[in-house]
Amino acid sequence: MSGNAALAHHFESLEKQAQAQRLGMWLFLATEVLLFAALFAAYGVYRWLYSAAFAEASRGLTTWLGGVNTFVLVTSSLTVALGLDAAVRGNGRRSGGLFFLSVAMGFVFLGLKAVEYQHHFASGELPGKFYAGHLGGSGGPLFYSLYFLITGLHAVHVIIGMTVLTVVGVKSWRGAYSAEHHTPVELAGLYWHLVDLIWIFVFPLIYLI
Amino acid sequence: MTEPRHAPHPASAQAAHPHSHASRYLLVWGVLMALTATTWGLSTVHIPGGAGVAVALGIAGVKGALVALFFMHLYDQRGPNRLIFVTSLVFVALLVLLTLLDNATRFPLANPPDAETTPAGMRAGMEQRPAPARAKPAAH
Repeated sequence: MSGNAALAHHFESLEKQAQAQRLGMWLFLATEVLLFAALFAAYGVYRWLYSAAFAEASRGLTTWLGGVNTFVLVTSSLTVALGLDAAVRGNGRRSGGLFFLSVAMGFVFLGLKAVEYQHHFASGELPGKFYAGHLGGSGGPLFYSLYFLITGLHAVHVIIGMTVLTVVGVKSWRGAYSAEHHTPVELAGLYWHLVDLIWIFVFPLIYLI
Repeated sequence: MTEPRHAPHPASAQAAHPHSHASRYLLVWGVLMALTATTWGLSTVHIPGGAGVAVALGIAGVKGALVALFFMHLYDQRGPNRLIFVTSLVFVALLVLLTLLDNATRFPLANPPDAETTPAGMRAGMEQRPAPARAKPAAH
């Protein structure tokens, strides 16, 4: 059983090693969920306290950009899932190619996000004390503080996800994985799906008030 | 295909003869796209009261569940991984709901004075405050 280089000596089999790696990844994803939960809790409280101002401030967002970004991210999740499907059957080239396609969609997502941010900077819809929009009171500044915190933290995760997908995609393309051992492909995919999962909640809460 | 459909760990993706999940992924993707369009469309219709948020969160919950179960394979994974994720969701619910309940049940003046939930008579007037002046960037 010691013939496989991918198997660490303290694991009995690749299957057990994969289970342990998967478990570790899920633990990490749970902490990511809790990280975003804190921001969603803050959002919930301030939306409760300033519901009319939040609804009004949300009109400053370009809904179709957020909507298109949702379609882009969901589709990139599909290509990642199909990439894993290829890896499971030992087709590293196809798997890597599908990961690169997902990274390309990540660039589209970030590009549209940059267009949005540019628009907010131009119209003074900035967080906290930098807010120079048309809304009086604290509701507008609070909305844009939470908007930039949530979408900003999410964008950081998109960038990390794209990096991970690129690294794993390149290794996949070069034939580092096989039908028997492709756990990194699976775990990179899990991370990307979580990024998608969070955006699925961001879109209705931020854009569709 | 030599394996029975419900082998001990069917999608532990390391199985010897894995069958393709591609059609399942495509189906889930189709439903996700349709639900995104639905929630987008519904947002243009005014739903009275707080029901609009409930509908939006309900649809997001279904979409999230589809991603977690099928794209992330929780559907055919072993217990511990499911338990970890579900536990994290329980804590999300606790954090968000208890924090909200705190603010929703406070004596009004314990919330920010210009909050919309503060009774009108006690509210620090949004009108009186010259909002743009305090927020304008400093002139050069």
